[in-house]
Amino acid sequence: MKVQFLAAAAAVAVIALAGAADAHGPTRQKTTKTIEINAPADKVWAVIGNFQDASWIPVVEKTEGTGGNDKGATRKLTLKGGAVIEEELDTYDAASKTLHYRITSVDVKTLPVNNYSSKLTVKDDGGKSTVTWMGAFYRGYPNNDPPPELSDEAAVKAVDGLYETTLASVKEKVEKGS
Amino acid sequence: MFARAVLVALSLVVAGHARADEAFIVNQTGDSVTVLDLSSGKAVATIPVSGKPAGIALSRDGATAFVTSPEGRSLAVIDTADRQVAKRIPLEGGPLGVAVHPSGAPVYVADWYGSDILVVDPAAGRITKRIAVGKSPSGLALTPDGKLLISADREADQISVIDVASETQIATIPVGKHPFGVTIDQDGRRAYTANVESDDVSVVDLGMRKTIGTVKVGDRPYAVALAGGKAFVSDQYAAQVSVFDIANLQAAAAIAVGEYPEGVQASPDGRRVYSVNWFSNTVSEIDATTLKVLREMEVGDGPRSFGTFIRKTP
Repeated sequence: MKVQFLAAAAAVAVIALAGAADAHGPTRQKTTKTIEINAPADKVWAVIGNFQDASWIPVVEKTEGTGGNDKGATRKLTLKGGAVIEEELDTYDAASKTLHYRITSVDVKTLPVNNYSSKLTVKDDGGKSTVTWMGAFYRGYPNNDPPPELSDEAAVKAVDGLYETTLASVKEKVEKGS
Repeated sequence: MFARAVLVALSLVVAGHARADEAFIVNQTGDSVTVLDLSSGKAVATIPVSGKPAGIALSRDGATAFVTSPEGRSLAVIDTADRQVAKRIPLEGGPLGVAVHPSGAPVYVADWYGSDILVVDPAAGRITKRIAVGKSPSGLALTPDGKLLISADREADQISVIDVASETQIATIPVGKHPFGVTIDQDGRRAYTANVESDDVSVVDLGMRKTIGTVKVGDRPYAVALAGGKAFVSDQYAAQVSVFDIANLQAAAAIAVGEYPEGVQASPDGRRVYSVNWFSNTVSEIDATTLKVLREMEVGDGPRSFGTFIRKTP
């Protein structure tokens, strides 16, 4: 009886959370990080331009997905440590080396954001290339007066950290491999 | 013949000397409003507005701009000629969408955390009534005769029709998924909602009280502008403005603009359309006839201008 009650209470909590996940804080945040890589754009795009392979992001352990690089393709990222992020591809343009995707499911303990969308572009710069990673997202707390770990600042800091670490890693990987 | 030539010449002179229209661009992360001179394309003033402002409505005479701050939970009343905040009115919840009655008052503010439209008396500086609508009301618009107020109830996938005289919801009309911006045509016959989650625009006949068409647009549409028989839709994720013909509801073009276009509105003469690009911190000016971008103008950080933001100067 008690177990049943707990299960029911847990179910209610899940429903409440699902409702909350739909909303988000009032002010969307944004960040842009760029890095110059001493390698042709084609070579960089070959590393980061496949939506079904996120192994270039150091924190990712495994990528599983469906739909290839078509609009609407999905992927599930299993991070080192076991956390999971689910994402969907919104636009993919191999000619301009641009892809645009969004997170469809993430625990705010993993990444303290809501309604996260992101755009990745590789531009050729005379044999070198510039990678630009843009993110737009709301903080992890979906209402006014957030706790510090789910504030606007915490969200920006987490995404900045992810972008900087990852872009530095890509640069190192591509330049070493050339 | 001679008289007509003189008249034409005179009208050209007058047009040349008239003050340019202005755009009041609400910079959310910048906590300010940039006033853009739409002739020179330059910022002519920056008005500080705290509380992460997002929504805006200009009075019909252009004298007053009402700006919502969702985080600051307040409404700033801006004297557009003075370039100053004349008054701050404290509100509640998450005030975002805003519209002003054609007569100048009241001002309607949508609380997107709740399910109410706040009726605000700007002179008295207080809420006079709360009108119950669907969950998470976002965009607001009034018919030009001032008789009906329409609210896009985002989480309810509907619009509410509100009778202005009795200040009550008199009908709901189902639209696409998560309607955000809503725009009413000059005849007060149709409303257009940008549906963020179904990537389309619902065309609603207000007389029939039903959705008569649905037009697919780009990713994450935010708001709709009307000019020259066409609808211009800001598609946030696609970084474009989708254009469709409002007579046959057929797609006409997709115009690349800055990143994350949000607020979008036509100039008073219908010759230009302006998209406010949140990520790029710019405003794109589109020729409503050739459907080409004419220029991109710099504004403050995180511009949104959700609502009506073009001021026809006297």
